[in-house]
Amino acid sequence: MLAETVPRPAETPAPVTAAPLLSLRGMSKRFGSLQALADVSVDIAPGEIHCLLGENGAGKSTLCNLVFGVYRPDAGEMRLAGEAHRPAGPAQALAQGIAMVHQHFSLVPDMTVVENLMLGQSAGVLRRRDYAGRVEALSREYGLALDPYARIQDLSVGERQRVEIVKCLMREPRLMVLDEPTAVLLPAEIEGLLAVCERVAARGCSVVLVTHKLAEIKKVAHRVTVLRGGRVVAQSSAPAEEIGRLVRAMIQRDLEGLGAGASAMLGEVAAGDDAASAAAPQQKHLETPKPAADETLQVDGLTVRDAEGVTRLANLTLIVNRGEIVGVAGVEGNGQSELAAVLSGMTPASEGRFFVRGREMTGASPKALTAAGVGIVPEDRHAVGCITAMSLAENLMLNRLERFRRFGLLDRGALRRAAEETMQRFDVRAAGPDIAFSGLSGGNQQKAVLGREITTEDLVFLLAAQPTRGLDVGAVEAVYGQIRAACERGVGVLLISSELDELLSVADRIVVLYRGRVMGHCAAEPGARERIGAMMAGHEA
Amino acid sequence: MSSLAGTATLLRQSVRDRPAILVSIVAVIAATLCGMALVVGIGVSVPKALAAFADGAWGSPYAVAASINRALALALVGLGFVIAQRANLTNVGGEGQIAVGGIAATAVALYGGASALPVPLSFGVPMLAAVVAGGIWGAIAGVLKAKAGTNEVISTLLLSFVAVWILYGSVQSEALLRQPMTNTATLPESLEIPDPTKLPLLSANADTPLHVGLLIALAIALVTAIALERSVWGLRLRAIGLNPVAARRAGMRIAPAIVLVLFLAGALGGLAGAFMLQGDQGSLKARFSSGYGFDGLVVGLLARGSVPGVLAAAALFGFLRSGGINMELEAGVPSAVVLVIQGLIILMLAGTAFWIDSRKEGTR
Repeated sequence: MLAETVPRPAETPAPVTAAPLLSLRGMSKRFGSLQALADVSVDIAPGEIHCLLGENGAGKSTLCNLVFGVYRPDAGEMRLAGEAHRPAGPAQALAQGIAMVHQHFSLVPDMTVVENLMLGQSAGVLRRRDYAGRVEALSREYGLALDPYARIQDLSVGERQRVEIVKCLMREPRLMVLDEPTAVLLPAEIEGLLAVCERVAARGCSVVLVTHKLAEIKKVAHRVTVLRGGRVVAQSSAPAEEIGRLVRAMIQRDLEGLGAGASAMLGEVAAGDDAASAAAPQQKHLETPKPAADETLQVDGLTVRDAEGVTRLANLTLIVNRGEIVGVAGVEGNGQSELAAVLSGMTPASEGRFFVRGREMTGASPKALTAAGVGIVPEDRHAVGCITAMSLAENLMLNRLERFRRFGLLDRGALRRAAEETMQRFDVRAAGPDIAFSGLSGGNQQKAVLGREITTEDLVFLLAAQPTRGLDVGAVEAVYGQIRAACERGVGVLLISSELDELLSVADRIVVLYRGRVMGHCAAEPGARERIGAMMAGHEA
Repeated sequence: MSSLAGTATLLRQSVRDRPAILVSIVAVIAATLCGMALVVGIGVSVPKALAAFADGAWGSPYAVAASINRALALALVGLGFVIAQRANLTNVGGEGQIAVGGIAATAVALYGGASALPVPLSFGVPMLAAVVAGGIWGAIAGVLKAKAGTNEVISTLLLSFVAVWILYGSVQSEALLRQPMTNTATLPESLEIPDPTKLPLLSANADTPLHVGLLIALAIALVTAIALERSVWGLRLRAIGLNPVAARRAGMRIAPAIVLVLFLAGALGGLAGAFMLQGDQGSLKARFSSGYGFDGLVVGLLARGSVPGVLAAAALFGFLRSGGINMELEAGVPSAVVLVIQGLIILMLAGTAFWIDSRKEGTR
């Protein structure tokens, strides 16, 4: 196992039969004290699907951004079709036939698909009809169903991503880079995307697919490069047969030892691997039928209408019992955000009420909710959960700063000590409590937010919305470990996630949301997967 | 040649790594050089202009004291700006806050019976009136922001115009603050305020008109620095400024903080008005403030959020104003040149800050 981690001669790029389209040699990039990439060499052959596998912070995105000209490398050489490739910026990379779909889309919501595509034209007369024709031709060719005149704001995330892909394909690229494209998609949409990748590659355009999901690699990857800590730790030309070796290289341990939630995140449960699902029941509390008196959270007919009067959440009723994890499944944008916003006191409910341990908390301020023992891990960590420009310690104690007062002044020493304690308990890895929160990796940021919320005084209820988004395997395990531990102490947990496999392995019961309504309830058993998937898509169970 | 390039690199690095205050210093030097070029362009000899400037700014104990007194008002407005800035609020209403402060202090000093009070109260009560009036003026913008989301840049600016016109009106009407008209030459201004209501001088020597306002301003600066940097309140204010949504989720109350912060900014503006009236001008005139509010805003901007920065920038502008006035009187350089230099400082500052930020981005 250790041998995998040491760079060996075999780890230099596997020989490519044809001349590589893109050849990277000795690429290094440093951000401040962080060596994001160190001596990375990769070859991308024409027409291949090359997967970049690695945990968050392994350097995948950095590598893509170097190729796309967003950053400039500190060292190393890039050659595109044999010629030196030194893009001064994304525009130049685009001109040379490299297209990239970023994790965050750059579309104007108020404009139609065609209008958005026309934004990419730098000069000349804009002819809407020509564009629409090209969109339709590309849609047909690659199987990307799209209405050219639909407004972006009316499209689902999957459809928006298709627009981004069409935007790339219109430039007839030689290389298409997709940065974690499947993280935001429904299971069925993922299949579609992978099929598109295969078609694109079949037409001679190389595809670089950044992912941390093994099922995707098994399905489409021709070759795989595994990054860890900014270095290439494994490469494979036959990834489907070597999944075990690749996973070990990526996470430095075997899949079998992982908790259910974490291996579900890698997509292994879906692939039918029984290691994880076998581990699941013992970690769940399947013995729960709880007495009704144990209600931690009672939501009664909650309705939320937005500023335009559109109903975002309709007459939602649910109960979370003491020591129970209730999962809220659903495609994003089906009322989960509104539910979380109301329960955290950030948005008033239009109708309905909710109670925490029998006490009505409808309309209570965030402060009052915290005092009542409600912890909130918000979906949008950066917008609601933390203040990235402040220090780690300040963020860890953000809702209890008044405790660190001495002679009327801020007691930095006590703040630091309390922060260190939480850092240790929740395994938040950082150079120290005083470093800027923005300097932490996503996983550590999330552990910090979770740590702060779980250490809320007299915690009785925890709302965790998409708590594992963008986290690596180790962090996912840690997050679910902490949530479960809180649960065992009697905390009721409402877990909102768009990752169905994770919900199935972690939650006791699942409530499915569709267009702001509860489509159905069911126990979280692996067998319920199909049924829940159907409910998520709006079919009555 | 290579050593020059090396120096340039070194300078770039040091600018990048230094605290923001160095940016301001570089901007000021560059702007001064441009100003000197202008002086040459006008046809005045640079040494003569510089001599006149130096003479007016720090050529005598009187000049130094006058410069410092000017700086005090600017420092107070600048401190208010920095406090508001911590909560991500921009107070551009200094001019109006000075005006209402001046009006309140004049009214209390002349007609509120303050002169009959024992010594610290005789000048303290009008000062307090100015603080309250300025604070209310600022808090109005705060309430508008908290209740209706009105942009505070617009509301503080418009309130400024209102206040300045109230001041004009009040010194035009005998029913208000105008001195009794004994003949047609009576100026539209208030009576001279009684001596007990003026700020006591620090030294018995009338050649140095430094007054107790210096001590008061320094004490306020110290308290502000401690409150912003060392208190839970300051930390919360910073949180609110950086991310109000996360701050609210963490249990902080945003609306009261906005009102309080703009009250404080306004109160400091009002106090600046009191200093100008009670420490310097002695009577309320139509052109009472003449730009101190806006200069104070620039002082706040130059300081880039730091209290020592406010003091430094205020001193700079105080000396610049005194020197500029003398440059006009003795060397015939239009005082507009000084205003141009001030404008250039702002431009250079913004430009340098932008340049440094973009360098930081580039090295990511």
